[in-house]
Amino acid sequence: MIGAVHSQLGPFHAPHVDWKGMSPLLSVLGGSAAVLIAGLFPGRRTQRVVVPVLAIAALIAAIGLTVWIWEPGGVRPIVAGALSVDTLALGVSVLFYVAGIATILLSLRSAVVRECGAGEYASLLLGSIGGMVLLAGAQNLVTIFIGLELLSIPLYILCGSRVRQEHSLEAGLKYLIVGSVGSATLLYGLALLYGATGSTSLSVIGHAVGTRVPLDDPLVLTGVALAATGLAFKASIAPFHTWTPDVYQGAPTPVTTFMAVATKAAAFAILLRLFDEGLISDRTNWGPALAALAVASIVIGNAGAIGQRSMKRLLAWSGVAQAGYILAGVVVGTRLGIQTSAFYLAIYLPMNVAAFAVVIARMRVSERGDDMAALEGLGRSSPWLAWPMTIAMLALAGFPATAGFIGKFYLIDATVAGGYAWLGVAIVIGSMISLVYYLRVIAVMWMSPSEVEVPAPAPARASPSRRVRSVAGWSPEADVRAQPEVAFVAIACAAATVFFGIVPEPLLHLAREVGSAISSAL
Amino acid sequence: MLKSYLPALVFLALGAGTGAAFTALNSVLGPRRPSKVKSDPYECGLPSEVTSSFRFGISFYLIAMLFILFDIEVIFLYPVAVGLKQFGTFALVETIVFIVLLFVAFVFVWRRGALEWR
Repeated sequence: MIGAVHSQLGPFHAPHVDWKGMSPLLSVLGGSAAVLIAGLFPGRRTQRVVVPVLAIAALIAAIGLTVWIWEPGGVRPIVAGALSVDTLALGVSVLFYVAGIATILLSLRSAVVRECGAGEYASLLLGSIGGMVLLAGAQNLVTIFIGLELLSIPLYILCGSRVRQEHSLEAGLKYLIVGSVGSATLLYGLALLYGATGSTSLSVIGHAVGTRVPLDDPLVLTGVALAATGLAFKASIAPFHTWTPDVYQGAPTPVTTFMAVATKAAAFAILLRLFDEGLISDRTNWGPALAALAVASIVIGNAGAIGQRSMKRLLAWSGVAQAGYILAGVVVGTRLGIQTSAFYLAIYLPMNVAAFAVVIARMRVSERGDDMAALEGLGRSSPWLAWPMTIAMLALAGFPATAGFIGKFYLIDATVAGGYAWLGVAIVIGSMISLVYYLRVIAVMWMSPSEVEVPAPAPARASPSRRVRSVAGWSPEADVRAQPEVAFVAIACAAATVFFGIVPEPLLHLAREVGSAISSAL
Repeated sequence: MLKSYLPALVFLALGAGTGAAFTALNSVLGPRRPSKVKSDPYECGLPSEVTSSFRFGISFYLIAMLFILFDIEVIFLYPVAVGLKQFGTFALVETIVFIVLLFVAFVFVWRRGALEWR
């Protein structure tokens, strides 16, 4: 009987696997297994030195391998068409690796590592990065879903990894439920796309829609709508953003940092891939819908941030608004749009990580936790933290001489050139509103408390995650010295923000190469 | 095409028939001496009077979950084992990688003390 089954199957051909192209992914996933085992060995040194060093080594190796296989041009399938290495996948995955390194540095002294174990923490983080890399290179609907789940499931656990803190568990549970709804919606959409076109391959779907399958086929349209909704949950695009402030606030801050930059980049990588490559021919149908989502995100995100006192919530709302800006680059569907989206994702990383690093540094020493009041007088007491925060806020608002300005400039350029000038106007108006809350943070740091008007205090929720031990002769300046890696991350990211604001050309060149990956763009 | 489903249909009918026959015979022929313990609902050996303050041992769920995880992962080995000759070295290497990953998970679970009954 077994023989009969084989004769029906015919000879089996092993799929072609390009191990060279897979090497960054293998480095991350291998690192994930290695740190899990390394974390089992007892001893303070293992937990505090060996595990983070191993994790960072795996990520640096992945960056090195990515540079090694970097090659501008179109899609190169590496696992029988399920996965591809192209500049879009490689370029965005470098962002994941950098975000991972920053997260591990930021969590070195964090309570979360002691509560859930250094090995588990690093392993989950690397596993999630593996999922993002898979997602960014997905060429197949099935790969998209596997990548998204591999990305999400470790993050659900990481959000709730401070098991003795109610807020952390609440964040984990909320993210699990909302994330699962998003995943289910996406899966439903992908199933309908498969049903309409008869293929799970993005390139086949791209050829089928508009030729074999009519553009306004109800199955395709429903599938596109559901897939967009599912991905909007992940990218926290309004009106699917409602989980963002709660989860960002409750999750351990290093995990929030990682989610804010890496998850967003992964979600936008697949949005670019799915819409600007797979479904580009149907742009007349999904373009206006995504444009409406972008405007909603810009308006709701900026309006929501104004009333926030908690820095983590403020950055969450600001993240919703920023997602709207980046989505504008996806909407236009031109090569310029893809380039500017990639460029904005790249500069979004240093500006956000710098801000979160300062929040982490303050949460460890201040009784006010992530409240805006914890930043009071920071300009005088520790300028090494106040300057990175100032630069981050100015960049997020889009001030000239920061990378944020260049990013917004090119986004508006792309929307106008792509026939969505009104979307460019929305970006400008959104940026103007955003000045209210970004500048307030700067004012709190540099001006005396009596001069700044901040929103009324919310009922106390935050408690200092961990006090850095205050020894005799403690001074505010000692904050910076007590946690040098946090200050290093903040200053390095702020420096990158200013550098790419003044010399954007190297990054723009990379963004152009990333844009060349999607050949079907207009 | 539909013909190939006939054995399955016969199997289903036989299974249902045998089960039904024994249940029916039991209720006709068997003696009936009910007692309080016998008429209690039975659920996995746990006492069925569950009050709101009752707490389950978490170890039970942990072991059960781990069992299901490893059990299902072992099931994946069967199709490869059956057709290894046709699939060739590629499948063998893939399976070895799979088992190594399983082993990493097993070492982790074991050293973390998840297999100890507490």
